[in-house]
Amino acid sequence: MTYLVSLLLIALIVGLVAVASNPAPYFAALGLVVAAGVGCGVLISHGGSFLSLVLFLIYLGGMLVVFAYSAALAAEPFPESWGDRSVLGYVVIYFVGVGLMMKFFCGGWYEGSWMIIDTFKEFSMLRGDISGVAMMYSLGGGMLVICAWVLLLTLFVVLELTRGLSRGSLRAV
Amino acid sequence: MTPVHFSFSSAFILGLMGLTFHRTHLLSALLCLEGMMLSLFIALALWTLQFEMTGFSAAPMLLLAFSACEASAGLALLVATARTHGTDRLQNLNLLQC
Repeated sequence: MTYLVSLLLIALIVGLVAVASNPAPYFAALGLVVAAGVGCGVLISHGGSFLSLVLFLIYLGGMLVVFAYSAALAAEPFPESWGDRSVLGYVVIYFVGVGLMMKFFCGGWYEGSWMIIDTFKEFSMLRGDISGVAMMYSLGGGMLVICAWVLLLTLFVVLELTRGLSRGSLRAV
Repeated sequence: MTPVHFSFSSAFILGLMGLTFHRTHLLSALLCLEGMMLSLFIALALWTLQFEMTGFSAAPMLLLAFSACEASAGLALLVATARTHGTDRLQNLNLLQC
């Protein structure tokens, strides 16, 4: 169990190194998909199954799909992958940096900290995280209303940014 | 530092460095920003789970909602840049050069 979670954590760091080394955006989106997948695995290992499902659905299924087909705007005839000289330099530097930080900061395995949330484990049918999210509808109702208005505002912001005929942002014509 | 704490902290710092040193495409900077959001979501969710503060689980959900807003605004800027300058390469954003 410890080894599985540490494998997932290593995969998270490798995925973000793959994004941060700035290859062509197709490959960076792939690294982000891998990192989000193993991030869901880490959350599940700590007992947060609902939050992991939300991450998969909204982050991967919503936002990253939009990023993936926006990558068509960044099309190149010869996309740079992680084997090309300039990107490989960044990858090596980031791995060395993470290794040095691990030398300084990581003290040990800390097995006692990898626990599964099991509040009321025999007395409740629901896990801790999903009942916490349900609080967003009862006591956190104000935040939900604010969130809804912010989402509506974002819709209008996007409409104004992409308005054509030299009336939106960044129009030089 | 526990390994989990080290992982999402270094994931955040890696995303930040990728955002700082981005090279050619605007979209790769936006993807590094999404990587930072991912590490923040994992951090808040693990905070909830490890301290057994179940009421705090609303925080990662709200973070995800607001980060979706931010991603859509960033992508709208990317589309506006591509429509104006023809591409999203940063060397084309040189209207203020003398």
